[in-house]
Amino acid sequence: MQTMDTVEGKEPRLPDLFCWTDDGFRLKSAKCNDCGSYFFPGYHPQHRPGCKRENVEDVLLSPKGKLDTYTIQHYMCPPPFKTDHEIAPYGIGLVEFPEGIRIAGIIMETDLDSLELGMEMEVFDYPLYKDEDGNDVVTWAFRSVK
Amino acid sequence: MRDVYIIGTGEHPWGKFKDRNFVQLGEVAVAQALKDASTDWKDIGAIMSSILIYGGNAGHLSGQYIESMFGETGVPVVNVYNACATGSAAMRMAYNSIAAGETDTTLAIGVDFSPEGFLGAKSDDPRQDRDVIRWRMTGMPNPTYWALECRKRFEKYGDTPEDLADIKVLLSQFGVKNPNARYQKLFTKEGVLNSPMVCDPLRLFEICATSDGAAAVILTADPEKIKAAKNPVKIEATTMGSAIYGDPTIRISAVSAPAKAEAPMLSESYSASQQAYKKSGIGPEDVDVLELPDNSSWHYLQYLETCGFCGEGEAHKMLREGQTQVGGKVVVNPSGGFSSFGEAIGAQAIWQVVECSDQLRGRAGERQVPNCKVAMAQTYGLMGNSGTTIMTI
Ligand SMILES: [Zn+2]
Repeated sequence: MQTMDTVEGKEPRLPDLFCWTDDGFRLKSAKCNDCGSYFFPGYHPQHRPGCKRENVEDVLLSPKGKLDTYTIQHYMCPPPFKTDHEIAPYGIGLVEFPEGIRIAGIIMETDLDSLELGMEMEVFDYPLYKDEDGNDVVTWAFRSVK
Repeated sequence: MRDVYIIGTGEHPWGKFKDRNFVQLGEVAVAQALKDASTDWKDIGAIMSSILIYGGNAGHLSGQYIESMFGETGVPVVNVYNACATGSAAMRMAYNSIAAGETDTTLAIGVDFSPEGFLGAKSDDPRQDRDVIRWRMTGMPNPTYWALECRKRFEKYGDTPEDLADIKVLLSQFGVKNPNARYQKLFTKEGVLNSPMVCDPLRLFEICATSDGAAAVILTADPEKIKAAKNPVKIEATTMGSAIYGDPTIRISAVSAPAKAEAPMLSESYSASQQAYKKSGIGPEDVDVLELPDNSSWHYLQYLETCGFCGEGEAHKMLREGQTQVGGKVVVNPSGGFSSFGEAIGAQAIWQVVECSDQLRGRAGERQVPNCKVAMAQTYGLMGNSGTTIMTI
């Protein structure tokens, strides 16, 4: 699978957390083949005690997972969070990926009243704001699978 | 190891003090503790102090600043930071120093001046500070983490918004009786349920504020000082815990958590409390007063389970049956809790010990719990940080 850290018109707000592939947008994780743990961010290892810590490989998480829990935030998160859009109230969810790790992220493009634990969610790139060059500065976000 | 007693405590009232500085708050708490302990400053053999992270050099060396005000004596001064469990670390070091025979009488001091509003990221390097990721990418202030867990409790155990509101009401009933509390206001259930929704299901009045405050404790193993003290409090255990691999809690500052639980929730607090039970031979069933970290109403419920005061999913039952009130199994937060005081990061763990000690010594005024013989102070700090202190009279 071909992976790209940026695509035309889009810049990650922070590097090394996600990428674009020919099969869509994906979160970057790392897996320890000694103890079976997945890490996110991939550069923050959290091994099982006693692990040899020798066989860690970069992996991409599945594009879809299940909503483990969520909250609806009724105010804008203060800086350094930043977006040009009036998003409040907005959802924040914890999505469980089949690999065995749950990831937190904002929930966009979803009717907040329809949120239910266990529902299927997909990860996508959400444009927070534009930089000086007119690129969308993006983070990862979740939306319900139609 | 020698037995260690608390012979004096001091507390500066909690609030926001724009016209004062943190050292002045600390001075008040220490002076009160010295007087209460009938102890001369020159008898203090070591100072274990909390770090005030927002206070620059002075805050990072707060023990030295406080020492200089009372007079420099050359004793060991250690400054420690363990997030909201900072005071637990100071207590534990003071206890261990005395129990091991290094010093006879030691001061544990916690002072904090909180910045206005949210406690934001303190660096800009995501590779070494996950805090940067959560602030920039997911927009998650601390209460968001609690709301995520709270929603799950609702689904799993059937806790309700009314339970969360009832907790605030109960705590305010204690808070109005505590002259040191920042908020001495009685809340009604309707008032709480009508307060603005912050992060569903947590409302504004169900989340604690950030405050300024100071608390000091003088510990000793000196037989003469113990004999001379009025109602000395014995420290049965003072422990600290960190998180355990496989803890399913989405921990503040993290943006991920394991899918499969292989450890209890809030495993750092589970660990600290279990260590304290083991060391003291005292169990939750023996505890008369529990000061737990009610950063939000969710914490109140969760901590009853984490520390073994009831089984998993049973906390709301304890609450509804009145088991956390006077006359129940254990009186929870008769101080009024963080709900009435607000958080003062470096000071709150020592403040909890002071409140427990006042209950044990029978000098808690209008909020005195009758016949209090065993008290427990339980803290919670971010990134896997917790402390437990069990005291008896
Ligand atoms: Zn490993």
